[in-house]
Amino acid sequence: MKATSLLEGAGSALEMETVSKTFPGVRALDRANLSVSRGEVHGLVGENGAGKSTIIKILAGVYRADAGKVNVDGAPLEKIDPASVHRLGVRFIHQEISLVPHFSVAESVFLGQEQTGKFGTAKRLMRQRAEAFLTETLGVELDGRALVRDLSVAERKLVQIARALIDGQAKLVVFDEPTAVLAAAEVQTLFAAIDALRQAGKSMLYVSHYLNEIHQICDRVTVFRNGTDVGVMNLRQSQEPQVGVPEIIRLMVGRDIDDLYPQRQHTKRKQKALEVTDLDDGQRLRGVSLTVGAGEVVGLTGIIGSGRAELVDSLYGLRKIRSGQILVNEEPAKANSPARAVRSGLALVPRDRRNDGLVLDMTVADNVNLATLEEVSTLGWLNRAAASRRGDESMERLDVRPRGSQAVSRLLSGGNQQKVVLGRWLASQARVYVLDDPTVGVDVGARSEIYRLIADLAQAGAGVLMCSNDPAELLGMCDRILVIVRGRIIADIVAAETDLEQLTALATGGAEAT
Amino acid sequence: MTATTVETRRFAAAAPALRLLLARFPLLVFALLFVYMALGSEFFLEWRNISSILRQSAPDAILAAGLAVVVTAGGDDIVSGGIDISLPAAATLGVGILSDQLVNGRPFVLAMLLAAAAVVAVGLLNAVLVVKVGLTPLLATLASWVAVIGTTKWVINNRRITVDHQFISNVRDGTVLNVPIPAVFALAVLIVFSFWIHRTRFGHRLQASGGNRSAAEISGLNPDYFLARSFVMASLAAVVATLVLTARSSGLSPGIEERLLLDMVLATFVGAAFSFRRVVTVPGAMLGAVLVKALGSGFQLLNVDIFKVGMVKGVLILIVVASAALEAGQRR
Repeated sequence: MKATSLLEGAGSALEMETVSKTFPGVRALDRANLSVSRGEVHGLVGENGAGKSTIIKILAGVYRADAGKVNVDGAPLEKIDPASVHRLGVRFIHQEISLVPHFSVAESVFLGQEQTGKFGTAKRLMRQRAEAFLTETLGVELDGRALVRDLSVAERKLVQIARALIDGQAKLVVFDEPTAVLAAAEVQTLFAAIDALRQAGKSMLYVSHYLNEIHQICDRVTVFRNGTDVGVMNLRQSQEPQVGVPEIIRLMVGRDIDDLYPQRQHTKRKQKALEVTDLDDGQRLRGVSLTVGAGEVVGLTGIIGSGRAELVDSLYGLRKIRSGQILVNEEPAKANSPARAVRSGLALVPRDRRNDGLVLDMTVADNVNLATLEEVSTLGWLNRAAASRRGDESMERLDVRPRGSQAVSRLLSGGNQQKVVLGRWLASQARVYVLDDPTVGVDVGARSEIYRLIADLAQAGAGVLMCSNDPAELLGMCDRILVIVRGRIIADIVAAETDLEQLTALATGGAEAT
Repeated sequence: MTATTVETRRFAAAAPALRLLLARFPLLVFALLFVYMALGSEFFLEWRNISSILRQSAPDAILAAGLAVVVTAGGDDIVSGGIDISLPAAATLGVGILSDQLVNGRPFVLAMLLAAAAVVAVGLLNAVLVVKVGLTPLLATLASWVAVIGTTKWVINNRRITVDHQFISNVRDGTVLNVPIPAVFALAVLIVFSFWIHRTRFGHRLQASGGNRSAAEISGLNPDYFLARSFVMASLAAVVATLVLTARSSGLSPGIEERLLLDMVLATFVGAAFSFRRVVTVPGAMLGAVLVKALGSGFQLLNVDIFKVGMVKGVLILIVVASAALEAGQRR
C-alpha cells in the first residue's frame, strides 16, 4: 500500500526515547521507545497495564516522565504541557466522544474556534467549512445543520475528529481506542476517514486492543509489554513475509502463568446456577446466551467495547434489557434493579469497588452486613452486637488487615477493600457470583487469597462468573472461558484445552472462533 | 445477523413518528386552547387584551430570560445544573430600594443606580458561592434568596411603599406604537440577550459549557467562567425587571417575589418545549412567560372558576414538560 522509501526517507513525526515513569509501587514505563514516521499510521498495542496509556498521557502532558526524551516533528520538547503539545500540531482523539447533544454538526466542529462575521457568529460560513472538511478530508457527507443527538455513533466520532483537525494545523493525530464505541459495521466508516487522512499526509498513532484492525489500518506497529517496547513490526513491507497477528500476540503475551492459583477439584453439578438466553439490550448486546453450572467457575473476557461491561450490568439489573431471559437457580429472575437481582440470589462484586462496592465511610462490619441486614436484625432493629460479631468472623475468614471490624473502610488498601466486598457476599450465601475484574489493583498476596476464596465458593456449590481481561488469571481459575466480541459470545472453550495466545487472539478479534 | 438488523430497523422506523407527535403535542394543545378561548370570548384576541397580557407578563418574561442564561450555562438539570432561584428576590430588593429612594426624594437616576448596584451584587454573590465556594447553584441561590428577602424586609421595614413619580407612571401606562412600555423593555431584553447567547462566540461557548461540561473542557474552555458570567448576566435582567415591577405595582407590595419565582421557573422550562431543539433558550423562556400569562387571562375571560384556573394551568404545564421529557426519552 505504502512505499517503504516514503516511510524511511521522511523523518519522524514523533520520537519518544527511553521514557520512564514510576507511580507509587508500580513501574509503569521502563525506558520505553516509540517512534512514528511522517505520513504513516502507526499502531500501538499491548495488554492492559503494558504502559500504553501511560506513554500517551506523557505525550499529552497529563503525566510527567521521570526520564526520557520526546521529539515532535524533529524538535525536542523540553516542557510538555497540553498547550505546547497542541501548538506543535499533536491532536488527540479520545476514546470517549464528548459533544454537546443539542449542538449542530457545524457548531460542534467549531466549538472553541468559532468564526465570526458582522452579525455575530458566522453560522453559514461555519456550516459550509465543516461540511467541506468532512467531505474532502474525511470523505463523509454530513449535513452541517444536523444535531449531534440525531447522529449515529460513527458519525459523532467523525465530528469529534473534524473538531480536532479543522484548524489545519494537525501533524500527528493520536487515536485512543477509536473503535471501542462503534458497532462492527461502523468501523469501516472510520477507517475510510483514516485512509483519507493518510492520503492528506497526516501522521497517525493508533492505539487499540483490536489486533485485526491494527493489521488492517497500520503501516507499522509497536508492541508494549511490562512497561517497555518489545518490538516494532512492519505490516506493509512487501519484501518481508507478511507479519501476521499471531506474531503480534506472541510479543504481547510472552510470559508464564504465575503460580498463584489454587488446586481445584472440579465438582461440576448438574444444576445450572445461572442461565442467560438471548439477552439483547438493543445497543451493545446482540443475543447473548451463556450458562454457569453450580460449582463451576466460568470466565468471561472481552476487550473494551466488546459488551462485557454491558453484559455484567444487565445481569445485575443496572441496564435495561430489551429481550432475553435470565434464570438464577433455574428460576426466572427479573433483573431490572440491583435490589431484585440480589433477592433472586445473585451477588456482584463490581469493578469499581471504591465507588460501586463499598460505603467508604462506614465501618468494615457495616459494609459486610449491608446486603444481609435482615439476618442481623430483629423486627427491623439492627442488632449491633450480632452485626459486629459477624463482621469480625468475616474479617478473620478473609484475613483482612488491619483487623478490626470497626475500622473505616476508606482507610483500607485496595486488596483489603476487595476482600470486604467479597466478605459481604459470602455472608449472603448467594448461589451465583458475578465477579467483575476481582483482582484489578490488588497486590499479589491478596490476589492469591481472593483466588482461594473463589475456589471455595465453587467448592461449596455456587456458580461463579469471573469477568476479567487477564487471560492468565482466567486460565488459572476457570473451568470454561467465554469470549465476547462486539456484543456476541464468539467462543465457549474449556480452559484446559486452550492457551494464552489463543485466548488473546480470540478476544482481540485476531482469530475466528472455531 | 439479518434478523437483528431487521428488528433494529423496525425500532428506528417507529420512533420518529412517535417523536414527532410528542414534539408537536404541547404546541397542538396550546393552539387548540387558544382557538377555544378566541371562540369563547371575542375580547381574547382584541389588542386591548393582548397588550394587557404583554404588559402583565413583561416582568416574568424578563426574569425568565435571565434564568434561561443561567440554565444554558450550567445545564438543565435543576439540582446539579444551572439554576438561579434568587432572581425574583434580587429584583424585589431592587424594587424596595428604588421605591424607598424615590419616596425620599432622591433623583431617579441615582435611585436606579443604587438599586441596580444591589441587584448586581446579588448576582456576583451567587457567582462566588457557586464557582469559588463550590456550592450547587440550587443551594447557593436558595441561600441568597433567603438572605436577600431578609435584607429587603430590613431596608423597607416590610411595608407597602407607594411611589408617585412621573417616570414610573409613564413606564406603567405609556405605549410606544401601541405597544405597552413594559413590553418594549422585554423586547429589548429579548434582542440583547438572544444576540448575546445565541449569536456570539461568547454565547456559543456558554451554551457548550452547559450542554456538556467535558466537551467544553476538552475544547479548552473553562465552564466555571461561563457559569459565573451567567449569574451576573441574569442579575442584569433582574435590574430591568426592577424597573418594570416598580411600575407595575406603583412601588413595592411585599410578597410579590414568591409568585414571580414560580412563574419564572415554569416559563423557562415550558419555553424549552417550544424551542426547536427542545432546550432552554432565551426566546423560548420569554415566549413561555407570555403563554402562561395568556392562559390565565383566557380562563378568566371564559369565567372559569378562579380556584379551578390554577389546577387547569398546572395540568397543562405538566402536559408540556412531560411530553418534552418523553420525547427526550424516545431519543435515547
